Amino acid sequence: MSELIGQNLKRESRVHHLTLPITKEQAQDVAVGDMVYLNGEIVVTIGLPTHQRIIDNAAAGEHLPAALPHGAFFHLSCFNREREDGSFEALYMNPSTSTRYNSFMPRIIRALDLRMVGGKGGLDAESVAAMRETGTIYLSFLGGGCTLLARAIEEVAAVDWTDYISQFRLVTLKVKDLGPATVGIDAHGNSIYTSLARDAQDKLRALLAQMKAERNAAAPPANE
Amino acid sequence: MPISSQQIRSVTAQMYEWSLKQIPDDTRATLARFETTETNPTGRKTLAIMLESSDEAKKNSQLVCSDVGFPVYMIKVGSRARIDGNLRQAIEGGFADLVAQIDPPILQMVTHPLTHKRSYAAPGMPQITFDWVDDADYIEITCSPKALGSGRWAALEIFVYPSMDQIEKYVMECVLRAGSQACPPIVVGVGIGGTFDYAAKMAKEATLRANGVHNPDPMVASLEERLLKAINATGFGPMGTGGDSTAMAVNVNISHGHGFVPVAVCFNCWINRRTRVRINNDGEVTRYE
Repeated sequence: MSELIGQNLKRESRVHHLTLPITKEQAQDVAVGDMVYLNGEIVVTIGLPTHQRIIDNAAAGEHLPAALPHGAFFHLSCFNREREDGSFEALYMNPSTSTRYNSFMPRIIRALDLRMVGGKGGLDAESVAAMRETGTIYLSFLGGGCTLLARAIEEVAAVDWTDYISQFRLVTLKVKDLGPATVGIDAHGNSIYTSLARDAQDKLRALLAQMKAERNAAAPPANE
Repeated sequence: MPISSQQIRSVTAQMYEWSLKQIPDDTRATLARFETTETNPTGRKTLAIMLESSDEAKKNSQLVCSDVGFPVYMIKVGSRARIDGNLRQAIEGGFADLVAQIDPPILQMVTHPLTHKRSYAAPGMPQITFDWVDDADYIEITCSPKALGSGRWAALEIFVYPSMDQIEKYVMECVLRAGSQACPPIVVGVGIGGTFDYAAKMAKEATLRANGVHNPDPMVASLEERLLKAINATGFGPMGTGGDSTAMAVNVNISHGHGFVPVAVCFNCWINRRTRVRINNDGEVTRYE
């Protein structure tokens, strides 16, 4: 797996323009390191309680946004403001750290048979295993990308669970050319995050030795 | 003429807004340099969209990042500075003004540590700390809003007569733990020595130093250089999806202490939020960052 990811990192990544919802076959054609632009409906939230409510509602067969099953569910924080006529406008959005939701994500991915998840920073091994089962990819959006991500929003299609604060609501957005987002985990179980963390750990001993050598070459040890 | 609390109120509110809508000039310059040196194609593309995002935010008076953090102000009070009114109250008022007036509005980020309930205002908010400057007729205010993405990875460990090997290893372990998640390229602040609390304060202050400015102590400066080189060899890269632009700077501050040596490590994400102004007794405001 590590070699495959190494090759993907070295090659020029492919760019995909995907219209949601995508099929399992489309998800499986995307590889870590590729870049993606999205068109269609996505569902976003950064609320921890929202994740539990998704799980509870899925188990009970209660209301969930229409775009969520087999769809794209992202850890994107969205400021959605209610207009006087009751409709909503989205002012901006930006990713949050997905590992915060590790304990929820395997259940949500399986229960809703998601094709895409995302945010920033990746997900843990249990989520990656669930994603491989279901055929799901993880997209890394630019943290600090408010302006670029917001200009892709065409319309707020639905705002569910308005009893939550703005960024905790479950918001369905219609987007046009949302991206570029980097594929951090693909549907075959390859995770750039796992690979990079392992590579860095493997390098650590050599990096520490290099620092020691540089220190000793520059001056006699100061505190040893 | 003393510095008026009304002036402090309006300046501190402005500082927060500045820090949300643009990145510091030195930070932009470092990211632009990385864009020319980054060897990973995805990393180069990510750096390009970082620059585009921050430039667009500045041009259009928009937020760079939706996680506006919670308000943190550090204030150096000159011994001859004169302030008319209540300084803490002025800063609290300034933050309330910001929440009411900023366009676009900010999300509720101030979070109760036990219930996790979010709000705009809370007891002790904004977080304000004070230092004293002898023989100065000004106050210097630094605004450094702190958000979860990079804030959560800070760490501190207390060593006993540590070797340089141990210190370097600990900093690198902290960097590896943050890995892809702190929105790299990061600024790493390290505080070594003093007491538990002072080491953390030194680390935080170190993150506020301009990129490329080293500690004046040559031994500490060489530690900064070694760590920066090692961190940029880890491979995490921009947004942690691979590359050799992982850290913009490693800034280390030290203090004498005793045989127990705290080592504190904290991080700023690529946005590297910080603004700093000085207000003189005559009311003149100088913005440094």
